[in-house]
Amino acid sequence: MAVATLASLSFAYPGGRPAVRDVSLALEPGEAVLVLGPSGSGKSTLLRALAGLVPHFHGGSFSGRVEVLGRDTRLTRPAELAGGVATLFQDPEDQVVMARVEHEVAFGLENLGVPPQEIGDRVREALDAIGVLPLAGRPTYELSSGELQRVCLAAALALRPQLLLLDEPTSQLDPEGAEAAVRLALERGVAVVVSEHRPDRLLDAVDRVLFVDGARVVLDAEPDAAREWLARERPAWVDTATARIGLDPADLVVSLEDVSFAHGSRTVVAGVDLELRRGEVVALSGPNGCGKTTLAKLAAGLLEPAKGRVVRSGRPAYLSQDPGRYLTRARADEEVALGIDGDLARARRWLADIGLAGLEERHPRDLSSGERERLALASVLAVEPDLLVLDEPTRGVDPERKAQLAERLRADARDRATLVVTHDEQFAAAVADRVVRLGDSPGDPKASHSLLLASSGGWDSR
Amino acid sequence: MSPAPAAALLAALAAAALLADHLLSVAAIVVVLLVVCATGPPGRRALYLWGTLFSAFWVVVLTPLLAAEGTHYLWQGPTVPVLGPLGVTGEELSSALLAGLRLAAVGLAFAAYALLLDHDRLVQAAGFARRSALAVALATRLVPTLERDGRGLIEALRGRGVEVRGIRGRARLLSPLLAGSLERGLNLAEAMEARGYGRPGGTRAPSPRGPLDRPAFAVAAALVLLGALWL
Repeated sequence: MAVATLASLSFAYPGGRPAVRDVSLALEPGEAVLVLGPSGSGKSTLLRALAGLVPHFHGGSFSGRVEVLGRDTRLTRPAELAGGVATLFQDPEDQVVMARVEHEVAFGLENLGVPPQEIGDRVREALDAIGVLPLAGRPTYELSSGELQRVCLAAALALRPQLLLLDEPTSQLDPEGAEAAVRLALERGVAVVVSEHRPDRLLDAVDRVLFVDGARVVLDAEPDAAREWLARERPAWVDTATARIGLDPADLVVSLEDVSFAHGSRTVVAGVDLELRRGEVVALSGPNGCGKTTLAKLAAGLLEPAKGRVVRSGRPAYLSQDPGRYLTRARADEEVALGIDGDLARARRWLADIGLAGLEERHPRDLSSGERERLALASVLAVEPDLLVLDEPTRGVDPERKAQLAERLRADARDRATLVVTHDEQFAAAVADRVVRLGDSPGDPKASHSLLLASSGGWDSR
Repeated sequence: MSPAPAAALLAALAAAALLADHLLSVAAIVVVLLVVCATGPPGRRALYLWGTLFSAFWVVVLTPLLAAEGTHYLWQGPTVPVLGPLGVTGEELSSALLAGLRLAAVGLAFAAYALLLDHDRLVQAAGFARRSALAVALATRLVPTLERDGRGLIEALRGRGVEVRGIRGRARLLSPLLAGSLERGLNLAEAMEARGYGRPGGTRAPSPRGPLDRPAFAVAAALVLLGALWL
């Protein structure tokens, strides 16, 4: 029997256009399905329909039929489907309920009525399976977004679901982590539906690929056939390489010498050296929680090192990985103008440049998540800095937009030094002159982080 | 000590401060709570301590000017339209100090609850009204979450070369902070529903009890009685 079936599902959020149109499909037990599609195409809505959150939580206009584990979702509340279905949402900060990791994982088990004496073992087993058992006693608010996403994944797996829904897991997890999560679920016989913008590694791990565009499923195929279709119809989804402009890195813009930093007693960055010159784009990579964001903030001058020194020339600018931090004004153009002395005309030019023409007067909170990402980028690019630091700029960005971003960063590279923190190997290969990989052992005060300079676009690890 | 009796002790200290009539008794309770709060995480305690002491300070300053009590004038000022003649009497000063100390005691008890207790275990320990306990725990967590969001907004502004200065600069962040927390609340509610929250038949992970739990409840009850009758 199928784990889930969708029959002619159409859905529109209240007052909105159809988010999903006439979708029919069946998911078999233990099957892994990758759902691809541009931002706003309906991927997340599809996952929410499988969790029963559409229509119960969101309201709206629903037609067709969705059956999950033999139950009609129109007649079954999401809380009743929980356990059989587990969902990992995009932003871990918005799904954490409890203050400690072990309690967070136990929360779902308690709701499902798991016998109290079993809860502890299941919590530890799930944390161990995801490789985050050492975080068990830590406060959730101290974790990095990547660590938090792993904890949320452990919380989902602890429920021992039959259907696991992962909404853009690589927005916070490194690609290896996302692939490992899918494989782990499959080993347990769980059916998995993953919505993603980054198909690279996941294409090897799944049984089937859907491509959603304009609220419709336009492709439903096995991975090999999907690869061929993507190469033919949507080349950016399988190849993001862009033409490089040969640049000779010139003057030094920032230099980090033997820099260390600790959050309280936890050393995050230890003894790091890094130089960035005008004209070069450097990608900074490494596993979740290894200190990439901290290093980026040190380079941008948002943090002061506990040891070592940072020498900077020119104006730095930093793009946070959370676009929600660029929603402080009542209009999009005012938000961009904030960093350029209120120059609204220049702000509007930047908005048009980034593809947000016509939305200048819109309240930033009324923008879609993809538009918010672009607003944040415009807000930082408008500053025209000498050092541009971008923290995970491709999070939630579809490959077409990603290719445009890479092209833009390359085109403007000669004017500044650019540091891009990213998990996205393809994006780094497309944009970076060199890749710096921050070593493992997050939070281990004894571990010294090793920095490796790889050849252009390549990846290396020691 | 488990968080439930610790919370009862803190509540009892706050209640005793509200019930007590003697300035020295309330001051002693404030000192005890200050010492307790001082053991909280250094990065987080400043906000709670400053917030509480700042509020208490202004209660002490403003109450004598606005109240009309007593005859032993320490200072007599001009007559202000609407407010009438300004003046400070010994009685007013004494009751202002008492009100300020009471506010400080309640604020510090909440600060100790927010900074030092394991709210997850409090929720687990709630024998009844678990939903309310969870709502209180989430509301308590709102303070550090807002604090972190506020830091994030300031950092994003600094990342664009915009420095946030003074009370006015920070006040402009209140509206985006509030809007952000409402949005987050909605997302959290969705995630909780997807994780089975509100489904009947829930259980609780076992919560270990400490040897001091029972005595702590007894001391809490005694403190309230003491405050009402003798302090």
